Amino acid sequence: MAAFPLAVNFYGDFVLKLLVVDTEHTMAQVAEAATENVIGLHVAGEGGVIRARRSGETEPLPLDMTVAEAGLAPTETLDFYYEEAS
Amino acid sequence: MALLERSEWYDIARRTEWTPGYVSDEELYPEGHSGDYDIPSEAWSTYDEPYKISYREYVDIQRQKDAGAYSVKAALERMDLRSKVDPGWISTLKLHYGAVSVVEYNAGLMESRFVRWARSPGMRNMGTFGMLDEIRHAQLQLFFPHEYVPTDRQFDWAHSGMKSNNWGIIAGRHFFDDMMMTRDAVSTSILLNFAFETGFTNLQFIGLSSDAANAGDFSFSKLIQSIQSDEARHAQIGTPMLAMMIENGEKERAQRLVDVAFWRSWKLFTILTGIPMDYYIPLDRREGSFKEFMQEWIVTQFVNSLEDLGLAKPWYWDIFLADIDEHHHGQQLGTWSWRPTLWFSPAAGVGPDERDWLEEKYPGWNDTFGKCWDVIIENLKRGDIGRTVPGTLPIICNMSNIPIVGTPFKTTQDYPLEYNGRLYHFGSEPDRWIFEQDPERYAAHKTIVDRLLAGEIQPPDLGGVLQYMGIGVLSDGGGDAHDYEWVSAYLDSADAA
Repeated sequence: MAAFPLAVNFYGDFVLKLLVVDTEHTMAQVAEAATENVIGLHVAGEGGVIRARRSGETEPLPLDMTVAEAGLAPTETLDFYYEEAS
Repeated sequence: MALLERSEWYDIARRTEWTPGYVSDEELYPEGHSGDYDIPSEAWSTYDEPYKISYREYVDIQRQKDAGAYSVKAALERMDLRSKVDPGWISTLKLHYGAVSVVEYNAGLMESRFVRWARSPGMRNMGTFGMLDEIRHAQLQLFFPHEYVPTDRQFDWAHSGMKSNNWGIIAGRHFFDDMMMTRDAVSTSILLNFAFETGFTNLQFIGLSSDAANAGDFSFSKLIQSIQSDEARHAQIGTPMLAMMIENGEKERAQRLVDVAFWRSWKLFTILTGIPMDYYIPLDRREGSFKEFMQEWIVTQFVNSLEDLGLAKPWYWDIFLADIDEHHHGQQLGTWSWRPTLWFSPAAGVGPDERDWLEEKYPGWNDTFGKCWDVIIENLKRGDIGRTVPGTLPIICNMSNIPIVGTPFKTTQDYPLEYNGRLYHFGSEPDRWIFEQDPERYAAHKTIVDRLLAGEIQPPDLGGVLQYMGIGVLSDGGGDAHDYEWVSAYLDSADAA
């Protein structure tokens, strides 16, 4: 259990935002946390499942994969998107 | 007694090419200060400054300029500016003074280094006048805002802002330290005088001068006209140096310096000039859009000057042209959203009429940036101002030190780079490319986010970050320039009731 910084690039937003999560959080939990400073603040939000993928990659990380398991680097950027909008 | 014509004595008077007897040429002009360019000793004396002036002439002209600027200020001093002009213009003034005034003093130091370290006598002579110019600019831009300080502490950022760790100030300091304060004389003349001054200061000083007059601020209009007349002269220091580099086999390095400085300048001016022109200046007072100014002053004129010298457009030209349409709109959303971190209150500039103008000038604005503003406006219509301020920080570019922004649904992305085990983030391909040109030059610097994550900001929350930035210390932070009055245009009659 450790605090872990990430960069959030949420589809439809204009800016990358800092997000501090826990290494044991799953991608589903990370996605939920990522909405806090995005949905209803700068992005309207579409509803549905939010997925995260490493910046520049096409496949999302599994929803049950933890931050630690994903082997992310501190402050690495994850692209978040509604599954339907990909 | 009749005076000789300047042309009869100028070359002799400024040809101070003495042969050193007690030190070597290398000791007199060490590489770190004078440059390590492979230009033969005899070539330096061929530097031919395009603008020749004697000290007597210089002093006479400058005295007249000062008299003009100060007399307009004195005549208008009793006018309560804030009751006469739009609050968006007041914010433009605060942004300008906080970002520019003390930098002018540093520019004086830069020019003074030309006076000592430049290998060409003509450049040393131009540097002398340039140094005096910049001291005058610092004095003017510290004195003019000073009258507002007793009633509005945010104007004090003109004097104290540059010593703060505000994110916007860090961005400016990183830029000017890189371009102006820490390079040899030759490189600096290309980076600052040629790329920055001949290109971009026109935007700020000519563009904003028109806007100032239109906005009813004749003191500021006169002030920056006065400054620009100096800039137009000493900006020419770099052009003959570029020509000399190209003639002596240093074209590739010259091109790289131009490419680095042009992009770095562009990113700085998207905030300094782009945002005020398209969002802060009241709609009926705008001279033109930022994009139109960019196309006139940069795309046309600067490219002509590059091609005249035999240089190419920067390699990222297509990226730059796309950026003119887009980048500053993201920075406007960011600066307005994180307005508590600023030393001025940004104008939103997105009422219905303003949005029509933005859509006309930047087709597609409503379907991209406008979508984010729609969400903000909905929160404001509900009176939920708190929900318009993010509870976290934006990721900051490790080169430009401004937020990494893009066009919603289209271009928002990171340009990461791992170097020596550290992950760096950049807002564009050219920002990352600049880092890669000389990684050790930039690698140790920390953005405001890096500092927060490194534990350098305590307490590590938004309150601690604001205090670290000087907010609540030097002055209060920003709010909305018009205190959200513009939102009423979006309230239908039922809402309004």
